[in-house]
Amino acid sequence: MGKTVTMTAMRLVVLCAALLAGLALAPVAPRAHAQDIEVEGPLAGAPAVIGLRIYREMRFQIQLQGTMTLNDEFSRSILAGGQLMFHPTDWLGIGVWGGFGLASIDTDLTDQVKERGQTNEVNVLSLPRPGGFDDQIGRIQWMASPQIQFIPLRGKLGIFESLFIDTDFYLLGGVGLVGIEERAEVTGDFFSNCRARGELGAQIQCLEATQSERETRMAIAPTFGAGLSLYMGNWVAMTFEWRAMPFAWNTSGTDESGNSRGDFPDDQINSDDQLSHFNHMISLGFAFYLPTEPGLSHMDEDE
Amino acid sequence: MMRASWHTMDRERSIRLRSIALIAAALCVTPQTLAAQDMSFDLNEAEAAEAEKPAEGEKPAEGEAGAEGEAGAEGEVSAEAGGDVLAELTAEGGAKEEASGPTGPREQEVAEEIYAVQRMYVLRNGRFELAPSLAMTVNDQYVSHPALAVGLNYWVTNVLAVGASFLWYQGVESESDLNFSIRRSTRLAVPITEYQLGAHLNFTYVPIYGKFTLFNDAIFQWDSYLVGGVGMMRTRPVAVVDPAVRSFDFDWRVAFNAGIGLRVFVTKYLTVFGELRDYIYLEKLENLEVALGADREDEATWIDENATLTNNVSVHLGVTLFFPFGFEYRYPK
Repeated sequence: MGKTVTMTAMRLVVLCAALLAGLALAPVAPRAHAQDIEVEGPLAGAPAVIGLRIYREMRFQIQLQGTMTLNDEFSRSILAGGQLMFHPTDWLGIGVWGGFGLASIDTDLTDQVKERGQTNEVNVLSLPRPGGFDDQIGRIQWMASPQIQFIPLRGKLGIFESLFIDTDFYLLGGVGLVGIEERAEVTGDFFSNCRARGELGAQIQCLEATQSERETRMAIAPTFGAGLSLYMGNWVAMTFEWRAMPFAWNTSGTDESGNSRGDFPDDQINSDDQLSHFNHMISLGFAFYLPTEPGLSHMDEDE
Repeated sequence: MMRASWHTMDRERSIRLRSIALIAAALCVTPQTLAAQDMSFDLNEAEAAEAEKPAEGEKPAEGEAGAEGEAGAEGEVSAEAGGDVLAELTAEGGAKEEASGPTGPREQEVAEEIYAVQRMYVLRNGRFELAPSLAMTVNDQYVSHPALAVGLNYWVTNVLAVGASFLWYQGVESESDLNFSIRRSTRLAVPITEYQLGAHLNFTYVPIYGKFTLFNDAIFQWDSYLVGGVGMMRTRPVAVVDPAVRSFDFDWRVAFNAGIGLRVFVTKYLTVFGELRDYIYLEKLENLEVALGADREDEATWIDENATLTNNVSVHLGVTLFFPFGFEYRYPK
């Protein structure tokens, strides 16, 4: 039954892929289209826009940003920060981005574990006291990244056919540095001593203090993302940005190493319990440009 | 070379502008037919230039300014061609026009007040839109609900469509490692569900549109739309609390949906789109309590009495195909 379902799903995927490929390869209609037009005559080779406002070239950007992490398992981070960029051209920028954690908001799963989690002989190290679970989860303290911005698309949008705004779409990439606070390491020897106390209650009492002990470290990770700038004036823009920063960390503060078929648990809390996560976030910001006057494209050719 | 070409073209265009302005004034062209230019850049110039040489096999009467372009190419700026401002602006034969048209400061003032009415890149009203896509869950950490989706819209106006969408989930869903990890480390069972299909009716409205240039070269038209509606989903709980005894059948749920999307036009009938849509419904989850004795076998005790409001936020990525492929503008360019 399961195999049949899988085969059906596979057929659907193949069918869908074939359909998409077919549409992509469909012959272009004989009528001329704006997107694939080949201009002849006096406009042949002309740029798409004359007198385009050059918002970035040879300008500094100072941006204030609010950032919120997404899809967090146990704790959502709110960061305040910004970025400083310099753009040698209108399509390229270099600079730094960063933010400090203002607040952490525990997810519903964290609340559920606090209310309904259970501790027994097997998971006593992972969860000494369910009520103290929020003390052991990992939290982001700060983030920073030297980065490059690539701005391939420049345009404008109209809202309700009445408000028109210059925009650009950008991609970013860089090396991310992340300050993380996690549950402190618990050695195998320490756990063995606690386990030697016998009863579960005594073990919990021995391990209870480790639940709220914290360690901080810096993780290094690649970062990449994309964003949209909405220019509200010659020197100010509103930005929406999505950024990913995959790295490994122990979000739950539990003993994760090993597997249920073999060596789990390994009775230690250490770096082996740091699992890979696709950490990603969205930012809303206001960018200010210096100097305050933008340039204009191709104006020398138009004179 | 390029600079010289631009300079010449600009001068000719300026002369033509003046001539056209005078003719337009003489013919008492009513100002109501002219509207302010919304976007400061467009393909109108490029399209008009192309109109000087109509494509092979293309009938000029099809409304892409072919007839006007031909007239303009001959430099016959006359009363007959007076309605096509853009084609005339880019037509060859500026010297003739200069000779035939009077000059003076008054003409220049009139020329500066002429605005071009820009066409929408694509007309949608009266056309159908077929939209196959792949959907992925973005807010459920326990189970991913990818789906194969297809939508069909009918555009009532250029900005409003009614349509239906269908999603198939069963067979491509997968449970995440987080569930296993949570159960192992905290002894907490998180109730999860499985989807089979969804069918929805929806409205689409386009409040935002725009265009992008790629390195000031190619131009892409795009729009952003809001979508919302109501439909049905077929779901069932996955037994995680007492899987040895419990099993569940799919059942129908009423679901509302709302979302926002971005559509980029590749041609006038083909687009690629991305959409974020939230499917909202009341889910019946597995009961976390296991009844003792004979009641354990009682199916009535397997489902939680309270329904849970569930948001399945999905990203759709796909293409749309408008048909019929072609359309005609109401007015000549």
